Amino acid sequence: MDLHRYAFSSMGCPCEIQLETEFESVARDAAAKAQAEVARLDEKYSHYRDDNWLARLCASAGSGRAIELDEEAANLIDFAAALHVQSAGRFDITAGALTRLWDLQSGRVPTQARIDEATARTGWHRVEWQRPRLRLPIAGMRIDFGGVVKEYAADRAAEICRQNGIRHGIVDLGGDLAVIGAHADGSAWLAGIKAPRNPANVYASIELDRGGLATSGDYERVMIVDGKRYSHIVDPTNGRPVDSFASVSVLAASCLVAGAASTVAMLLGLEQGAAYLRELGLPWLAVDADGRTRGTIEVAAK
Amino acid sequence: MRPDLLLRLTCALACGAALAACATKPVQPWERAHLARWDMRWDPDSAQTAMKQHAYFSKEGSSGTIGAAGGGCGCN
Amino acid sequence: MLRPSASLAALLSAAAALLPATPANAADSDEANTHASYRFSEYDEGALHGSVVGDPRRYRVLSQQLDVDTKLDGGAWGLKLDATHEVMSGSSPWFVAPDAQLRPVQVLSGATIRDHRSALSVALTQNPGTSANTTYTASYSSERDYRAAAIGVERSQPLDAATTLGYGGSFSHDVIEPTDAALYNRITHATKNTASTFASLAWVLDRDSVLQAGVQVNLGHGYLTDPYKLFTYGADILAERRPDRRVEAAGLVRYRRSYAQIDAALHLDYRYAQDSWGLTSHTIEASWYQGLGHGWRLVPTLRWYSQSAARFYAPFLAAPAGQRYYSSDYRLGTYGAFSTSINIRKAIGRWEVSLGAERYHSAKGLALDGGGAAVPALVDSTRVWAGLDFGID
Repeated sequence: MDLHRYAFSSMGCPCEIQLETEFESVARDAAAKAQAEVARLDEKYSHYRDDNWLARLCASAGSGRAIELDEEAANLIDFAAALHVQSAGRFDITAGALTRLWDLQSGRVPTQARIDEATARTGWHRVEWQRPRLRLPIAGMRIDFGGVVKEYAADRAAEICRQNGIRHGIVDLGGDLAVIGAHADGSAWLAGIKAPRNPANVYASIELDRGGLATSGDYERVMIVDGKRYSHIVDPTNGRPVDSFASVSVLAASCLVAGAASTVAMLLGLEQGAAYLRELGLPWLAVDADGRTRGTIEVAAK
Repeated sequence: MRPDLLLRLTCALACGAALAACATKPVQPWERAHLARWDMRWDPDSAQTAMKQHAYFSKEGSSGTIGAAGGGCGCN
Repeated sequence: MLRPSASLAALLSAAAALLPATPANAADSDEANTHASYRFSEYDEGALHGSVVGDPRRYRVLSQQLDVDTKLDGGAWGLKLDATHEVMSGSSPWFVAPDAQLRPVQVLSGATIRDHRSALSVALTQNPGTSANTTYTASYSSERDYRAAAIGVERSQPLDAATTLGYGGSFSHDVIEPTDAALYNRITHATKNTASTFASLAWVLDRDSVLQAGVQVNLGHGYLTDPYKLFTYGADILAERRPDRRVEAAGLVRYRRSYAQIDAALHLDYRYAQDSWGLTSHTIEASWYQGLGHGWRLVPTLRWYSQSAARFYAPFLAAPAGQRYYSSDYRLGTYGAFSTSINIRKAIGRWEVSLGAERYHSAKGLALDGGGAAVPALVDSTRVWAGLDFGID
């Protein structure tokens, strides 16, 4: 069995598929198909493009028109709706306007007026979702799948590999992992959770032989103004970034579920987030802004 | 003669075991990628080995390998 | 496992629509775990040199083998089925007669034999793919004058992270009913039982090498003689006679070394055997597995075999002195053999095509100690084979 690694760029992050096969031709074929699937999802759900159905949906906001969604998009909307409930309204795929407002390249805290104006254009509770038809009633409303599509893509890529004869491998989309199967000799894959402020420093190592691992964190996109930390994760109920962990990692039966749990935990903030993770019962690791760790995953001793 | 042979073989096995036990630090699970390669199996092409061993068995006085022996044949 | 919490249940059910396939280990997919292979081979022995009486064309065997290997019950069991069919033809050594100068002359059986053999074997493994597993085997082989049925069990279990213990036993019952028994005054029916047991240890030496050492003991009891072979005993030509018991002990050492950086591996095997008939043998086999890229693989192999004669072997006995056992079967004489073979393989998707050829040469001089009685009718042979595998991963 040989280890074959295929690195590529997608979903705005570095990706890698590692496959253990006897024959390179089998690995290459599966990796190409998996990569194509990730690219398809990236194109279909990316809010950085202005030519896909999503852009058309956002362009229809406030026009009174409803857009009909296909099965996959409808399932994602249903999933997002479930997360909205789980997170007491903080997980909101319509919060795109707020996220853009707090775009951290500007390095400035937006004014309250700008925050109010953006908040007026968000709110999943305002959206009319009657599967398969979705209507955005307010002009300027946007749907942003960024919170779920990367993890979903990892699981889909893993499934495509399995369908193409791969039994041992792992998909890594910018740190979100989906296991295809444990190593050929039965041993687990070793995933490193990086220290929030020092990505070169592996903080904790987790053994994964199935399922997925997802990490939500602000350690790559953080703004410090007047000594105060602002993450890029915005609470749509008050329009401001959450005061939360620096990163949350969760292990689950799929990367999608792991990602949903870690995102919701981040959005719920320090206290409620920890309580949510404890109640879920999945292995989790949360690191706060001062580097303190909490959770059921063991951190490597220093 | 046979007890002597068995004694010699057992000593050889014991020495081998001692040697292997003195081997350097254990190989971790994530270091076993090379050992799991097809060409590192004891018998990568078992179909071919079966045919090959059958041919040797039928023209040599004593051949074979370790493992459950199959039925014989009237090869001559 | 505790029931998932309400929140987790909600997440899992929402995710179920998006990911309908079970996200468990892919080992559950039976289809991905089935492997089949087909092999065809032709074995030809060379014409004999030296003094020969009878049709000198030797044996030819055309052989086909089909193997299917699959997982059952979600990977809890492994099932392997092997079916073999062979067609054999040609003349074979009958007895050795001394010429006027008491030099041996090999007499071959006149009529060329044409026979075919079918065999089926089944192996059922519990917990395949894990280091602790048990395999149950059963096999049956049948040809016109010989039938054999065998059963066996073998177990593999880890002793620690780097050591694996293997052990097992098997039993075989063979029935021999020689052809043309009345015509040549042969026995009409005989049986033979063989029991064997083995034990082995395998060690992971480092990340690139493994070593295995094992011992095996075989016990044969019953009719162990070749019913077709005769022996020149003084002025008479009698049916050969061998003891009705044979105990063989063998030791085997196998070494595998990976050179993954150059896509290669080295295989070294050594086997030593000794039996109660006085026969001892050494076998050394070395193979080099070389990947050539793009799914091509080249595997050259060298093998050296040496054996020393059974106590009762002799080409003939010009002046017998009451020996109870006697055989001129070259397979009990002192001789050695050297063979070279090459195998080329190509992977295409989930298929693999392979071709191979082997050249085998035996001679007295190749034995470890080449002295002793002459061994006429030593064989040179060529074997070519082709194979097709499906379900590689």
